[in-house]
Amino acid sequence: MSTPATPKTPALLLGLTALGTVGVVLTGFLKGSERFWANWILWFLFLFTLALGALFLVALEHLVAARWSVPLRRVPERIATLLIPVVPLALVALGAVPVLYPGARPEALQNPLLAGKALWLGLPFFSFRTIVSLALCLLALAVFVKGSLSQDETKDPAYNIRARRFAPAFMAIFAFVVTVLAFDWISGLTPEWYSDIFGVYLFAGGFLAGLAATTLVVVRLQGKGRLAGVRPDHRFNLGGFLFAFTVFWSYIGFAQYMLMWYANLPEEIHWYRERLEHGWHGVTVALAIVHFAIPFFALVTRDAKSDPRRLRGVAMLMLGAHALDLYWLIFPVLGQGVLFSWPELSFALAFLGLGLLWVRRSLSWGEDMPVGDAFLRQGLEFRL
Amino acid sequence: MKAETSALNVELPEVLREVPLTEGPVTPGSLDDQILGVTDRKPPRKWFLAIAFTSLLATLGFGFIGYTIYTGIGAWGNNSPVFWAFDIINFVFWVGIGHAGTLISAILFLFRMRWRNAIARFAEAMTIFAVMCAGLFPLIHVGRPWLAFWLFPYPNQRALWPNFRSPLLWDVFAVSTYFSVSAMFWYLGLLPDIASMRDRTENKWRKLAYTILALGWHGSGRHWQHYEKAYLLLAGLATGLVLSVHSVVSFDFATSVVPGWHMTIFPPYFVAGAIFAGFAMVVIVLVVVRESMNLTNLITQRHLEVMNKVILGMSCLMGYSYAMEGFTAWYSQNVYLHHTFLNIIGGTYGWAGWLTMACNIFVPQLLWFKKCRTSYFWMILVATSVTIGMWFERFVIIVISLHQDFLPSAWRLYKPTLVDFGILLGSFGLFFTLVLLFARVLPVIATTEVKGILPGAQPTHGGHHE
Amino acid sequence: MSDFAVLGLFDSADALMKAIPQVKAKKLGRLEAYTPYPIHGMDEALELRRSPLGGMVLAMGILGALTALGAQYWISAIDYPIVTGGKAPWSWEAFVPIMFEVMVAFATFTAGLGMLLLLNKLPFFGHPVLNAKAMRAITRDRFALALEADPELDAEAAKAALRAAGATDLEVLPFPEKGPFLTSDFILRSLGGIFVACAVAGIGMYWAIKLVPTLIPITHMLEQPKVNAYEGSTFFADGRAMLTPVPGTVARGYLPVAAATQEEAAGLANPLPRTPEVLALGKKAFTNRCAVCHGPLANGQGSLGAAYGAKPANLQAGQFQAGGDRPVPSGPLGPPQASGAASQAKPGPGSGFPPYPDGKIYWTIVHGKNAMPSQAADLTVDERWAVVHYVRALQRAQNAKDEDLP
Repeated sequence: MSTPATPKTPALLLGLTALGTVGVVLTGFLKGSERFWANWILWFLFLFTLALGALFLVALEHLVAARWSVPLRRVPERIATLLIPVVPLALVALGAVPVLYPGARPEALQNPLLAGKALWLGLPFFSFRTIVSLALCLLALAVFVKGSLSQDETKDPAYNIRARRFAPAFMAIFAFVVTVLAFDWISGLTPEWYSDIFGVYLFAGGFLAGLAATTLVVVRLQGKGRLAGVRPDHRFNLGGFLFAFTVFWSYIGFAQYMLMWYANLPEEIHWYRERLEHGWHGVTVALAIVHFAIPFFALVTRDAKSDPRRLRGVAMLMLGAHALDLYWLIFPVLGQGVLFSWPELSFALAFLGLGLLWVRRSLSWGEDMPVGDAFLRQGLEFRL
Repeated sequence: MKAETSALNVELPEVLREVPLTEGPVTPGSLDDQILGVTDRKPPRKWFLAIAFTSLLATLGFGFIGYTIYTGIGAWGNNSPVFWAFDIINFVFWVGIGHAGTLISAILFLFRMRWRNAIARFAEAMTIFAVMCAGLFPLIHVGRPWLAFWLFPYPNQRALWPNFRSPLLWDVFAVSTYFSVSAMFWYLGLLPDIASMRDRTENKWRKLAYTILALGWHGSGRHWQHYEKAYLLLAGLATGLVLSVHSVVSFDFATSVVPGWHMTIFPPYFVAGAIFAGFAMVVIVLVVVRESMNLTNLITQRHLEVMNKVILGMSCLMGYSYAMEGFTAWYSQNVYLHHTFLNIIGGTYGWAGWLTMACNIFVPQLLWFKKCRTSYFWMILVATSVTIGMWFERFVIIVISLHQDFLPSAWRLYKPTLVDFGILLGSFGLFFTLVLLFARVLPVIATTEVKGILPGAQPTHGGHHE
Repeated sequence: MSDFAVLGLFDSADALMKAIPQVKAKKLGRLEAYTPYPIHGMDEALELRRSPLGGMVLAMGILGALTALGAQYWISAIDYPIVTGGKAPWSWEAFVPIMFEVMVAFATFTAGLGMLLLLNKLPFFGHPVLNAKAMRAITRDRFALALEADPELDAEAAKAALRAAGATDLEVLPFPEKGPFLTSDFILRSLGGIFVACAVAGIGMYWAIKLVPTLIPITHMLEQPKVNAYEGSTFFADGRAMLTPVPGTVARGYLPVAAATQEEAAGLANPLPRTPEVLALGKKAFTNRCAVCHGPLANGQGSLGAAYGAKPANLQAGQFQAGGDRPVPSGPLGPPQASGAASQAKPGPGSGFPPYPDGKIYWTIVHGKNAMPSQAADLTVDERWAVVHYVRALQRAQNAKDEDLP
């Protein structure tokens, strides 16, 4: 399978991305630093969790020695390379810490709840954790993706052995990184609040986003005649995963909410009250519908799970739902009600555009399937 | 397909080669003779010895239960402030053990993991027996067990309803649903095997029994179509149960405000712990069954190795959960949570905290080594350690959090009584008695399912199944 | 009468699947396969319609969820709404776990029982293949293809077709002998059996419901170690559960009056000041306990007076006045008049009755007098003295002087 030449990047995509970028800059000047940073964090986390979710999918395949997903593996590998542009985005995002993160401000030392962990929440240690996470992600990318791309030429099974050995270590890295993202970047916005399931919650959302992105790219490539050999059986498994993890995300989200609702402790419940008042109630309900109800019923039947059109629609919806989830997690902190205007749209255009441009570029890296992998044939012969 | 695999295997380095699912020549006929024939033969002496011992334990346990019902819950060590103790620990322990069976038979079925076929039947049976043992405890701890039916919402002359806002009632629904769903799943899976036994037995009484139990099953293509669909749907539904039942059990604790209990991570943490403990029990029982019933050609080293890898994976998940609990104890800056955490690593019951961590996190790390994953001694050592560790984990959660919570004037130590221990041992006796009976009366391996994955079982159309 | 079916046995799934299109082409009857395990591709080969089980399970699952939610709502928010644990009667968050479990239960039973009873029509022990010689092989390791009567079957043609397609063994299955199903014998026996079963069950349950509450340990709660009224006890020698208090036992909060007779009580002084609060207390106590006999104006005109028989004292009478510069009422309330013109003049202080001290009123409240019972049990010490203040105020109000006006 030779890779077709990358068509010229469509002008529309470039144009919208440029427009978005202009809007991003203007937001910084016109709308104040809080709004700017809230948007920046939302979108940098969106790309980070999506890329991490895709890398998790790759690592999972190596961990359990799955065969059915081998023909598809190049897609999440390419999506995972989004971690590379995420690095500068994350480093810029550190600028948000003194603005939006109360734990990093000097006032934290006066707050009895924050004083004890001010060192942890302060900018130096915070940055250190984020930089370590980024470094570990790049390491994982090198082992899994670079190795896979070079296997296209060498056809050396040593890559499989190396990846299989590294997979458990990656799981530990992943657990660390996802927990850091959740606790530092998201729940750090309200540092007196804590929920120890939060890392699992972000994992569920991020993995789902990675799966959705993978599914979307797979369906799109198939529509273009690439990825020949990938059958409805493979798509069914992707659809099955999307369905199962939609349920899983909903279960985690509901469990966290119900437990805090039940105990009704003041130190916990304010986080949910913020998301049920001042117009946020509608967003919460919308999140439940868009992230659970619609995908659940859209994918519940057997046929729906392998239907390309259905999968494309649900995958796009899920990516939107993940963005909405992050918006719902981050924006209430600004205390200005449900903010949605040209700044938010600009950031969406800019970052989604960046992501799309990058993924488009990555579609020309290596072959569409890991042709050097010894298990490719078994993967193509997979039947339910 | 087999030729391709073996050609591939020759090219690949050894560590990547696929290990076959069965060893030696296995045909559907030989499978029937080996597995179904067990029920025709007289049990060996060691079976009698084993069941005598386990029945003795079970009888002892029931004696203590009878004593408790006669005298009252005062016969146990429960007292203020440790109102929940051995009884609830045992309940959570046994419900947890049941989850491995459902995971193996349902979730692995959904993932099309063919290796599960040889062990699914046994695992499901263990689920049912574990849930039976578990259900015993809420029944006897209510003080007046003969009124336990009050828990169900039926219109009554007292004009009262149970409190639907209580997690204890959610438990009643969850565990009874889990039991009935598992029983149905197990029975439906057994149906074709019972039909095989019906058709091969010479004994008149057995034939009558199997005829009735087989419901007239005759393997028609139309019937198989609906059967497979039902099995797939049941597997999907049972998967939802695995997640939900132990989450509902965790809600018993997490909905409260007791420090150390109100942690949002409890639902997935409990589910992971349940799978962890359950797989350990399955490994122990499977090793015994494999050896004593000569099933090494069907329950192969691959099966045991994969189960041990799952145990290792779960151990790492438990490690993450413990780390999150420890981190949160500090991060929350909550003096009560902090105090409870210090009690887990120090204090009167600190030994239990360390025992839990050692048994659940440190010892299972041995399974990184292939030698330990494939050696009976090491895997039984690890599995036993996990069983003990998971029992103590529930002890740590319940007793340590309760014995010193908010009000220092209510702090008191907990001491279990002989009756507590007796009932715990009795539950093990009951469980193993049921397992031993099952092994003699019903096929321990789902012969129909294994027949379906033997090489040459399915018509060739160039397909590969995972 | 044709046969029910002709079976052809094959040695492998491959052979069976290859045979199906060949036999199907001959259109000799309805095709059915009997196999020891499900064969991939069999559904398409036999041209079976999709199983409706998925839709049934989804529908019943949703029904289960709605039923559970509805039942919990009706029970908790409508039939007997209570607030427990600070949670409103309609707490949907708390109803979700049970809703989920019931949904799974409904769906599962639909899947299992729907598949067995509705779709496969099992249990059914009358299928002809169950008696076939080949049955043993079918559930063991052989694969059978059957041409079934639809509604008639040419057995010879069927046998030839199956042999041509590669069958190793052939068997002809006759229709089972069917006598009439509903004979009067059968109906009578069934009804009789049902009747007997109901009777036995009913008697058994009745007996059980009567018997079980009399068993240990259920009776343990009836036997309580407390002593009921009129029940003898071995606690004390005299069979009582409580001893009578020794003479001189004083109840808590009761201070005995240091006066044995009313005369001795004359010296007691009212410890309470004469404040509006004390007078309010006195008024309340008087209204509750005294006015019913002595009347609201303390003049003996109480509502109970007539019914009581005895005559309550008229506290406005001269003999009960405090004395000092208080006027003494004239007329029937006043002291006995001397006959003559001097009766119109108001007697000066000191004439008529001697002053009636507060202590004697107090003593009367505590011990009672003549037909009046003791009020000690019902009035605290403070209340008694407050009543005394109030009585004095009533007396003053009924015999006011001009100077009393503000």
